[in-house]
Amino acid sequence: MHVDLNIARFDPESGEKKPYREEFNIEVDETSTVLDGLIKIREEVDGTLGLRCSCRSAICGSCAMRVNGKAVLACNTKISDLVSDENKSINVEPVGNMKLIKDLIVEFDTHWQKIKAIEPWVKTDAPPPEAEYIASNESMMELIGVMGCIQCGACVSDCTVLAVDESFLGPAALAKAYRFLADPRDDANNQRLKDLNEPAGMWDCTRCMQCVEVCPKGVDPMGRIMKLRDFAMEAGYKNTTGARHAEVFSDIIKNNGVLNEFWLPVKTFGMFNIPEMLKLAPIGLKAMMRGKMPPIFYEKIPGSKNITKLFEKTKVV
Amino acid sequence: MKYAFYPGCVSKGAAPELYRATIEVCKKLDIELDTETMEGASCTGSGVLQEKNEKLGDTLNARTFAMGENSGLPIMTICSTCQGVMSQARSRMADLEYRESVNSSLSDENLEYKGQAEPRHLLWIIIEDIGIEKFKEKIVKPLTGLKIAPFYGCYIVRPSDVLGFGENPERKHSLEMIIEAVGAEVADFPGKSACCGFPILTINEKNSMKMVSNHTLSAKKEGAVAMVTPCPLCHLNLDGYQPTASKQVGQPIDLPILHLPQLIGLALGIDPKVLKLNQHIINTESVVSALALTP
Amino acid sequence: MFDFDVIVMGAGLAGMRAALAASQNGSKVAVITKVYPVRSHSNAAQGGINAALTDRGDNWEDHAFDTIKGSDYLADQDAVEVMAREAGSEVINMEHMGAAFNRDDEGRLGVRAFGGQREARTFFVADFTGQALLHVLHEQVLSSGVQVFEEWFVTTLITEEERCVGLVAMDMRTGELHVMRSKAVIIASGGVGRVFEPSTNALICTGDGISLAYRAGAGIMDMEMVQYHPTTLKNNGALMSEAARGEGAYLLNAEGERFMERYAPNMMELASRDVVSRSEQTEINEGRGIDGCVLLDARHLGEKLINERLLQIRQLGIDFAGKDMVTDPVPIRPGMHYIMGGIKTDIDGLTSVPGLYAAGETACVSVHGGNRLGANSLLDTLVFGRRSGEHASEWVKTQAPASIDDTHASRCLEEIQSLLDRDSGEMFGQIRLDLGQTMNKHLAVYRDQKGMEQAKSDLADLKQRYASVMVQDKNKIFNTNLIFTLELGFMLDCAETTIIGALERKESRGAHTRTDMPERDDKNWLKHIVVSQSNGKPKIDYVPVNITKWQPQERKY
Repeated sequence: MHVDLNIARFDPESGEKKPYREEFNIEVDETSTVLDGLIKIREEVDGTLGLRCSCRSAICGSCAMRVNGKAVLACNTKISDLVSDENKSINVEPVGNMKLIKDLIVEFDTHWQKIKAIEPWVKTDAPPPEAEYIASNESMMELIGVMGCIQCGACVSDCTVLAVDESFLGPAALAKAYRFLADPRDDANNQRLKDLNEPAGMWDCTRCMQCVEVCPKGVDPMGRIMKLRDFAMEAGYKNTTGARHAEVFSDIIKNNGVLNEFWLPVKTFGMFNIPEMLKLAPIGLKAMMRGKMPPIFYEKIPGSKNITKLFEKTKVV
Repeated sequence: MKYAFYPGCVSKGAAPELYRATIEVCKKLDIELDTETMEGASCTGSGVLQEKNEKLGDTLNARTFAMGENSGLPIMTICSTCQGVMSQARSRMADLEYRESVNSSLSDENLEYKGQAEPRHLLWIIIEDIGIEKFKEKIVKPLTGLKIAPFYGCYIVRPSDVLGFGENPERKHSLEMIIEAVGAEVADFPGKSACCGFPILTINEKNSMKMVSNHTLSAKKEGAVAMVTPCPLCHLNLDGYQPTASKQVGQPIDLPILHLPQLIGLALGIDPKVLKLNQHIINTESVVSALALTP
Repeated sequence: MFDFDVIVMGAGLAGMRAALAASQNGSKVAVITKVYPVRSHSNAAQGGINAALTDRGDNWEDHAFDTIKGSDYLADQDAVEVMAREAGSEVINMEHMGAAFNRDDEGRLGVRAFGGQREARTFFVADFTGQALLHVLHEQVLSSGVQVFEEWFVTTLITEEERCVGLVAMDMRTGELHVMRSKAVIIASGGVGRVFEPSTNALICTGDGISLAYRAGAGIMDMEMVQYHPTTLKNNGALMSEAARGEGAYLLNAEGERFMERYAPNMMELASRDVVSRSEQTEINEGRGIDGCVLLDARHLGEKLINERLLQIRQLGIDFAGKDMVTDPVPIRPGMHYIMGGIKTDIDGLTSVPGLYAAGETACVSVHGGNRLGANSLLDTLVFGRRSGEHASEWVKTQAPASIDDTHASRCLEEIQSLLDRDSGEMFGQIRLDLGQTMNKHLAVYRDQKGMEQAKSDLADLKQRYASVMVQDKNKIFNTNLIFTLELGFMLDCAETTIIGALERKESRGAHTRTDMPERDDKNWLKHIVVSQSNGKPKIDYVPVNITKWQPQERKY
């Protein structure tokens, strides 16, 4: 099978500041992965091609890269799934949101710093029991779901928040944080939630689902972040804009059945949060002048009482 | 073709121009809209409610789906967020046991979601029910020479396994298909399926605005004269907050953001005023006048 | 020049466990690793970790006996006793650190059955136990004072007066060489699977530590004992965990027969690995295979159990064999997986070179003898990783720093520079592939004199080709082309010790099965073969097997 691997190259020693493109036309097997193709190039065509890889079985997390614009593990991405009779070309780039070192190799330093920042170790108040901790299999299965994370950085690469704010803890570190909050053995939930509640923490996620989409191990980082928010609100950390937004949103739907865009921001910030209200004012005025100001008085859907009832029936236990 | 129309909160609230344009465009496309069936339908929860209580969110959507099923009509949405949240709910409720437990809350209203209703966005309906060739035949004023940037909104592209991309692979590039079908050119740019920033507008305005400026500026760099989106929430941020984003980034942007039916409406020859193009924060005059010059 | 008490080479389970133990004992510790710690090959251990926990009616002697029988009586029984006795506390320790072991109905650690053992004593985290433990240990290292040099490549061990006093390593990010002085070095750099092609092993398993120790004069033991895992995928050699059979999956031949009935009527699919691999190979050789494979059939286990306990290998089957084990049997065959041999150590990890320790797959204590039991490798890494760390950190308290300097680095640099200066010649890739194919052909499940001699002569050719190998990349930053070329040098050393040991052992024992000498010969060969370098030439020594209370018997499953 023929394939044209169009690879983003970068040589830090050439003095050239920007990556360039190089296309390699190679023959591969039907079963070959993108990684097989890259290794073939590295061993037979151009020994200078830089990439990380090791296990070839999607467990070591070394070979995350962007293939046709999406972060994947090269080792479980089949070439035959990406080419057709008309299109034999595959685009290969390093992962995003990390500093380039050489070709497909990027710096993971910031990533590891963030992992370390969430203090990823079980903290207990009392010394451990003599034998194992007693815990339900369900609680361990919940952890196992997150511990499947191989730290490949695919989610970090395609995170839309990290693209604009490198201080954001990011999906991998937040998912890892969840792993400790969900651990029945850990006693540090309060401190952890307090830290994660800070700016650049759990509330900065936009819920865009990029991390869910690209995670090669089904870890569902965003789902874990949502659970962190849940934990935080339940633990009484309600004094963030994010928590208030979620609560106000919920209240509005509960009472009206539908959303009201006027009251959502006003109530989220608080009516007497003068600076934020002043910031909102010009936008509101402009919108009003364009004839598109949402109604100040609540509009309810017919039968909104039924919605209120559903809210009461479906309380989280 | 008749659909139970689920307009979503935003087109009934902050983006009335979307509602208007949809009504007008559907008339021209011979899409009959039943606007009554869904009058009592609630918000989808928009993912925010699901954050706190996923089952509650699913219950609200099951209620909406049941209303659709009772009308015997397929459901049409016009918001990427509504569409995505509904698709996710539908995927979870494919599990019979779970669906039954959700349905048990709906019995007071004598409603039951039977697992049949499949809400679809106008974007998909045009391609799948009308057909892109037939749709092209209805174009009277091709937007020749206009370069339009597509902006999907997260929920209509992710998570891909609940959005029916398997059976309907064209959904992946549906917006580009429409842009080309109306005679315009696609201004492809990397952020087209990224986040618009709206969900964190109140939480981290700086990041939200950076997303707006990144997307709009990179679309402009690709020669876009306007951007089109099937998501009114994206529109709120990309249009409504573009001046704020522009101020933050310290350079003018002025990229008109069109709702999907507005773009289609122009090509169907509908008066821009009827499409409420004058109700945007970012002036759309440049698009309208560019269009006036086309043959 | 960097200066530490203890330097650990390798950041897999053995390395990180050693580093933590030494650090907790007060030593200033560095870990040097050519990949980020969580990329280490300990990740690949899927099925679990063995321990006989007394509070559930098991006892360490049974575990020890199963291990010794599994080793075909080549394991040193004092070492096996240590491992079996200390297994429980290591597993519980990992649990306390945060490993999310699967539980039973009472919320206690759950067990699954594993090959070659009469009791179910394998504790597990789904089917990625190694990964789970590796990440937990990495978390502990992050919280400790251990300094980790990530993506640093060790080029040489420094010895002075026959004592190991440090090493030279390259920071791959800059290409610079650094001298790292220490009072003890613990090698925990894993196995050498890549000497075989295909192999379940990661591309990083190139025997660096074994070769470095060999070059430094340490004895390398039992290298002929190479484990072929019974269930690997044909395409890329990926491992399908023994956990599948532990949970009850069958092995079927082309006729749909559970052929293990004929080879191991009691233990069936859960006989020890050497036995199962030989049986499969016999089926394939005698024409009852399918396209060079037999079938792993897990369909009757049901989707729920598979998803809960075998999810990762289900995905591997889908990704790499196009078979979903929920609905289809998966074609598998024996594939090179593990080396029982390695750097000869005592039960505290000490090698024949003072100051030099080894632990994990790199080392040969020996607890695995002629054949390792599944789920004993993770245990080996933790028990002997910790013991090496503890012993080394005590030893360094008695040692003065050696008087070495940066000239050691400049000597290495010269060698590397002369390699880089070569502008023509063959790249490493084809040499490595030829090596792998030779080894996999002649030192596989079944061996004979003629084949092994062929391998010996092939190796001599390969060494000659390697002497004029060319590195295409002349740059400094992340020059993997250079790294792979240096690794190939290590691999050739390791292959040499394997071939020498295999030719030397004139019997069949454990994984070393000769068709021309099919019987075990306890009278002459109940002993270890140790290869070391003497004046640049390999030298063979014998070491008797340590037998405490289990006399060799006939081995039946």
